[in-house]
Amino acid sequence: MSKLKLNGVSKAYGATLALRRGDLEVMAGEVHVLMGSNGSGKSTLCKIIAGSVRPDDGRILIDDTPVTITGPRSARAQGIGIFYQELSLAAHRTVEENICLAALPAKARLFVDRTALKERAARYIALFDGVSGDGFSADALVGNLRPDQRQLVEIMKALASEAPLLIFDEPTSALDRAQVERFFEILRDLKRRGRGIIFISHRMDEIKAIGDRVTIIRDGETITTLNLGETDAGTVIRLMVGGAGDMPASQSSAPAVVDAKDGAALTVRNLSGAGFRNVSFEVARGEILGFGGLHGQGQSALLRAIFGAGSIATGEIRIGSDRFDAASPRDAIRRGCAYVSGDRGRDGVISGRPIIENVTPIHYLRDRLMIARPSKLSDRVAPALESMHTKFASLFHPINSLSGGNQQKVIIARWLIDRPDVLLLDDPTKGIDLSAKADLFALIRQLAAEGLGIILYSSEDAELLGNANRILVFNGGSVSRELTGPERTRYNLYQAAYEAA
Amino acid sequence: MSSVLSFLRQPIVVALVFIVLLLYLGELLSPGFASAAQILRLMIVASLLGIVAAGQNVVILGGREGIDLSVGGVVSLSAIIAGNVMQGADIGIVPAIAACLVAGAFFGLLNGLGVTLLRIPPLVMTLGMLGVLQGLLVVIRMGIPSGQAAPALSRFVTQPLFFGVPGIIWLWAVIGIVMALMLSRTVFGHRIYAIGSNEHAAYMAGVPVRLMRIALFMISGMFAAIAGLCLLGYSGSSFANVGEQYTLTSIIAVVFGGTSLAGGKGGYTGTMAGAFLLVILQGILTTVNIDESGRQMVFGATLLILMMFYGRGRAMRA
Amino acid sequence: MTEIATSPTYRRTGGIRRLLERYPFLPALAIVLVLLSLNGVFSPNSLSYRSLTGLLSTYMALILLAIAQTYVVYAGDIDLSAGSILSLVNVAIVVLMERWGGGAGAVLLALALGLLLGLACGLVNGLVVAALRLQAIVATFATSIFFTGLALYILPVAGTPAPTIFWRTYGGRLLGLPFVFYILGGLVLLLLVLGRTRLTTQLLAVGDDQQAAYQTGLPVVSIRVRGYLLCGLFSALAAFCITGDTASGDPLVGGKMTLFSVAAVVLGGSALSGGWGTVVGSLLGALTIGLISSVVFFMGTPSEWQNFVQGLAILVVLMAGVLAGRRARP
Repeated sequence: MSKLKLNGVSKAYGATLALRRGDLEVMAGEVHVLMGSNGSGKSTLCKIIAGSVRPDDGRILIDDTPVTITGPRSARAQGIGIFYQELSLAAHRTVEENICLAALPAKARLFVDRTALKERAARYIALFDGVSGDGFSADALVGNLRPDQRQLVEIMKALASEAPLLIFDEPTSALDRAQVERFFEILRDLKRRGRGIIFISHRMDEIKAIGDRVTIIRDGETITTLNLGETDAGTVIRLMVGGAGDMPASQSSAPAVVDAKDGAALTVRNLSGAGFRNVSFEVARGEILGFGGLHGQGQSALLRAIFGAGSIATGEIRIGSDRFDAASPRDAIRRGCAYVSGDRGRDGVISGRPIIENVTPIHYLRDRLMIARPSKLSDRVAPALESMHTKFASLFHPINSLSGGNQQKVIIARWLIDRPDVLLLDDPTKGIDLSAKADLFALIRQLAAEGLGIILYSSEDAELLGNANRILVFNGGSVSRELTGPERTRYNLYQAAYEAA
Repeated sequence: MSSVLSFLRQPIVVALVFIVLLLYLGELLSPGFASAAQILRLMIVASLLGIVAAGQNVVILGGREGIDLSVGGVVSLSAIIAGNVMQGADIGIVPAIAACLVAGAFFGLLNGLGVTLLRIPPLVMTLGMLGVLQGLLVVIRMGIPSGQAAPALSRFVTQPLFFGVPGIIWLWAVIGIVMALMLSRTVFGHRIYAIGSNEHAAYMAGVPVRLMRIALFMISGMFAAIAGLCLLGYSGSSFANVGEQYTLTSIIAVVFGGTSLAGGKGGYTGTMAGAFLLVILQGILTTVNIDESGRQMVFGATLLILMMFYGRGRAMRA
Repeated sequence: MTEIATSPTYRRTGGIRRLLERYPFLPALAIVLVLLSLNGVFSPNSLSYRSLTGLLSTYMALILLAIAQTYVVYAGDIDLSAGSILSLVNVAIVVLMERWGGGAGAVLLALALGLLLGLACGLVNGLVVAALRLQAIVATFATSIFFTGLALYILPVAGTPAPTIFWRTYGGRLLGLPFVFYILGGLVLLLLVLGRTRLTTQLLAVGDDQQAAYQTGLPVVSIRVRGYLLCGLFSALAAFCITGDTASGDPLVGGKMTLFSVAAVVLGGSALSGGWGTVVGSLLGALTIGLISSVVFFMGTPSEWQNFVQGLAILVVLMAGVLAGRRARP
């Protein structure tokens, strides 16, 4: 039986079409995967179903009956529960309050029934017993929790809706393996009980493990729906990227050793700080050093600390032969260090401002400029953007008018006007589409060839294997293994990451 | 066609349309309201507000709930300092300007330090500073007379300078040009927008966020000080809390100019139109023959109606 | 910038932090106790039963106004018209009481209408800010001008006296206890009840993250409007107290109190950005402001310096309040 059916749903924000034609049919008792590169319209589609985005056109049917969803409240009333990718939690409320926030149990219609609230929340907290980690309790404030724990709270909150149709928009991005497995057990149980589930993830292995059918969306349009049992990863990816179906450059592999030109670009000795301890390594000029391991094992913390945005307790850093201890990113930039974060929205994009102003800040600082003359700056900014095939209408359009991948290219272009000596990449391809990834890695390799020392942390093994000359695997804040030459295999990377985790 | 529409939706165009409408309305209610002489008089008043609003504008643009509630106190303080330094003599004007700027910068510095080093929300910090300034005014006024404006200063503010236009309006125009250039063509200006739009990203891109914010509060203090000096010239001598009225009206002028209170969006040209709009509205209300209560009610209601054309929050359902 | 530089993903909760998390008003309580003892040092007489009762009846209006402000601050809003609502209700009830003869029945009827008037003002604010989506700071400033105009229309100049029965009751005793104690007791009871309502939790959730609250399915607009209604209600109650204390009507009496009410909320450890705070903190914050004036007076500060010292002291405790409040919350 069809639980939910969407017909020709569309949504435009001003001139940009976020969703051109969304079609989707979810059956009771299935996990229906939505796939598509970022900006293809998956999240918009989910938000339309959940009522927080108003569709411009199209029909929504629940249990084969046409319905009008006027907002999140109305969606809930019609049996839709959702996990929001960006989470919908109140940081200063407790875990149990957050889980029950949508429908606080009431006494005399006016007061919060604390006992009922505790009982209800406890049911969902119990589902993740044993994997929710230290410091997780019903009365902990959500703002005090780790990112993975917050994600669990959002999952519990979605489950607590007890809705017949559940939407999970990238629910596993911060979870560890044990948490994901527990979550999948719960999903399988829900499936058995006839719930319809929409599931979004970028991890192919997860999709294989939990999905029944997959609907592929490209450029805001539903392409097709397939049975996952009858298809393979290659087909799905080809359908996702469409005409530009070349596999990304990251699939080919990087040379095992590089010619060490003029010695080390960056040397780190016995570095300890918040989130990492006793890390030592060296990056040669022209080398791409990979950081691997599970999410949140100190890789980001270390990169940010080197860049002067995190605290260092002990240890030594050198760039070239000079001692390097940046007190702030400003200091680090002046001394030739560059950092690109995967969290564009937080660390990179100066939202609402023209593209040109998003490229120039580093140039201003390194050239000690006071006056910003657009014509002169354009001459330097345009080549930097073009070297990555960035698509933009004009330098004076706001950066928000670009897709995620192109926004990230703009952020990277910042560092290309005045070349740094060391480039730190902190999961730079998070949430960008495949062709943008290919452009980006081509550039990174070219920069390495020009003699930059590059550190690449990536949450995707394939990117590391395809681009890094050497890989350091992180575990619990320190390096647990170094993979060089032919050791750089998917199997070894996997094994080192999960060792003792 | 769509470019015409988006042109009409620009805050500054909205403000200009309302300015014309209100001038027309004023002329209907009281013939002579829209005469050149009267408009010049209104512009003198508007320039005082506009100069205060310039500082308020940059603080608001800098984001992180940037707002400066202490400007009113600085205006009053500066008027008193200026009056006492110049003592009615032209020779005292330059020292008076220097003294006022130092005082304005000093209190701006304190605001900036509180906001950045101690991370006190700007609203709280500047509110507390307003209390301190008001207390200081009492101390000063008990100890010394209010002082007199120098004749040259009064002439500058009230009498025509070039082409029949008083000096203060020229000053305001220059400030407008300088502000526009600063915001669009200097690194400093770009950095104001950067910290206002995404403070953390600006920090990661090497913008000295704390220094910037301190500078913005100092600029705000200095603009308020200049306004206080000019206000002394306008009224001849200073009296208690002359500046109080500027605290919230300067914020409204900024809002009417299309600058978002969330920071990172807007500019000063619009604020100038916003200040003028506000002054015309007040001008009409003083021209019309109604008593104080009616005037206030109409003023409050009109402000609300005008606000609907600006900076309304986003609908939660996109 | 420290928050940017270190930005820890999570922090361990220590003992003191835990305590502050549960009782965010503790720093405010400590400040009140310190100020009380300072008062005692400079003038032992100021700690007498009589003086404390006097202090309470003078500052009860500010306490209520601070509490009024707290409910909108919970949701991340602000009400710059709270003082004007107080003025408006003050003149309205005084004029009505006088017109209806000043008997007990007239007083009660006027008070009932006063409450309705406060609620009506709160409704206007709520609609303007939450439904029309105007910026709270500027919109409530505009409504404050409107309300002040209305107050001036009702009573152009200060001076109409409140009926004797009204201010005698307020300043008098009942069963041997000062009447303000009953008010305080009733207030504490009311706050306890309100603290258990769903609305309080919902206001805080909206203040925490408005978009998240909306996506969760909370009726955000209606919740914010109800916050403003509570604010209007408590502003009206504050007006009753100021009427009892000054025994007259004054259309501008509350003008200066608005900013003090905001200050009191901050002193109490609430976050102006919303989502975090307590009404008890605001109560203590208002008392702090009252006690500072009294300490400054009893210290023997020269009269012309009193405002300055008071302003400086308030600035200092404001900073202390913000810093302590920040330690408490995640």
